[in-house]
Amino acid sequence: MSLERKDDYDHKAWMKKKDLTPVEATFLTTLIWLDKRLRIVDYLELLETLYYRVNLQMPKSHTEQYNLDNKFWYWYPLYTLGLFSTLAYVVAAISGALLGFYYSPATTGDPTTAYNSIEFIMRDLQFGFMLRSVHRWAAQVMVAAVFLHMLRVYFTGSYKEPRELNWLLGIVLISLTMVFGYTGYLLPWDQLAFWAGQIGVEMALSVPLAGEWVAQLLFGGFSLGQSTLQRMYIIHVFLLPFVVTTLIAIHIGIVWVQGIAEPH
Amino acid sequence: MSDNEPENEEIRSDGAGIVAPDDETPTWSERKARKTGLSRLTYEYFERARREDQDLRTESDYVERDVLAFPTWPHETVRNLSIASFFVGMILFLSATMPPHIGNPANPSTTPAVILPDWYLYWSFGLLKLGPLNPEIAILGDQMLMADRTYGVLANGVVVGFIAIVPFLNKGSARRPVEQPFWSAVGVFGVVFAFTISLLAIKNLMPMNVDLLFDLTFLLPFVFGTITYAVLKTMREGYMYNLNRRYYRLRPPK
Repeated sequence: MSLERKDDYDHKAWMKKKDLTPVEATFLTTLIWLDKRLRIVDYLELLETLYYRVNLQMPKSHTEQYNLDNKFWYWYPLYTLGLFSTLAYVVAAISGALLGFYYSPATTGDPTTAYNSIEFIMRDLQFGFMLRSVHRWAAQVMVAAVFLHMLRVYFTGSYKEPRELNWLLGIVLISLTMVFGYTGYLLPWDQLAFWAGQIGVEMALSVPLAGEWVAQLLFGGFSLGQSTLQRMYIIHVFLLPFVVTTLIAIHIGIVWVQGIAEPH
Repeated sequence: MSDNEPENEEIRSDGAGIVAPDDETPTWSERKARKTGLSRLTYEYFERARREDQDLRTESDYVERDVLAFPTWPHETVRNLSIASFFVGMILFLSATMPPHIGNPANPSTTPAVILPDWYLYWSFGLLKLGPLNPEIAILGDQMLMADRTYGVLANGVVVGFIAIVPFLNKGSARRPVEQPFWSAVGVFGVVFAFTISLLAIKNLMPMNVDLLFDLTFLLPFVFGTITYAVLKTMREGYMYNLNRRYYRLRPPK
């Protein structure tokens, strides 16, 4: 009988009783010290619950249950196109952020500041030529992969119930990918960019009823100039990254929840 | 100290005793009882859905795995990492071997001979050149109902809209092309049309008669779609026979 409190929560006495190795004792002492201050155990329990949730036994898939794998193996390489699109998106995002350090969207001067900054990136900047090349190719590859991904989903019938909403989301995503590509195409402000922009303005103006409003909103007027380039730049590096990243996360999240559809 | 403790041998050491039981959290039926109108309906539906899920789970003839599947670590992770590095390497290889170049600076006073968007927008660009298909309305004195350009822009909307409603048109459990020859033919039609309309977009670069190109743009998709339909329809007999045989071998009719 000592004056020290001895109850179920007397961790020191419990540790003494256990005859621990030095490593274990250090670990436990640290854990208890931290836990008394930060209630670590609560979070560990949460993590443990999560661990068991994500490791729930999955039912056998259709192909496994009916041993149909020999019929469908030829589809499976195409099932990686979604991953490939995401990867290309990530590569484009990284290289694009690096390019953004050196690009300025201004039409002042002759040739324009925007054009000059691209020339600077390609001629003077260390690895700039490669960086621009990586960004461009990542974009091209992403569009191609997204398109092939859509074909795979179509021809394996993966858009059917309960996946209609994800198909719609995918159509929004492929459209936004093309808008990404289009806005990026205008940024160098060379001849091709300028006249592609011209066609864009004319297309916007041809939209029935809302045409002029659309042209004002997207291109900042009916003829190309500083405001056009500025808007393309903001759409390309600010609006679309947020929107598309969120939509990709939702798109993949839905695939995670619903599972990957195999052809029956 | 031990005088203050109640003389109860059932004190547990797992810490459960010190946490106040959470009596405040209402059960599903309590929540339902408090609600009226739409929220009550919501809770009633939730309860039904949960019961339905539970019933489905108990009645399911799914075979549960007795071991966990292909391990995420290291097998799946290593596989994914190798695929990912292969793809990223491919992008780097492409950009190292075929870097883009930049054209002349923008000059509003000279229109270049060839104006083109990136290749993936050719289809949209091609749809702008559908002018010859724009119907002339006799009542309006052979006036076009809308300008050629408006017609082309609307065509974009029609294409995207059609792709969007596919899941609501094609229902049922068929998944493989052989099981749904018609919709596969529609798909092939779409792919071929995407190609031909892209070629129409660059018609001034194509070494062939423009009228012939215009006709082929709309003929080829139909030709390929029809061939697909015929082939798949023929294949379907054999596939369905094997599939049914396999199915009934597993679940013999009672």
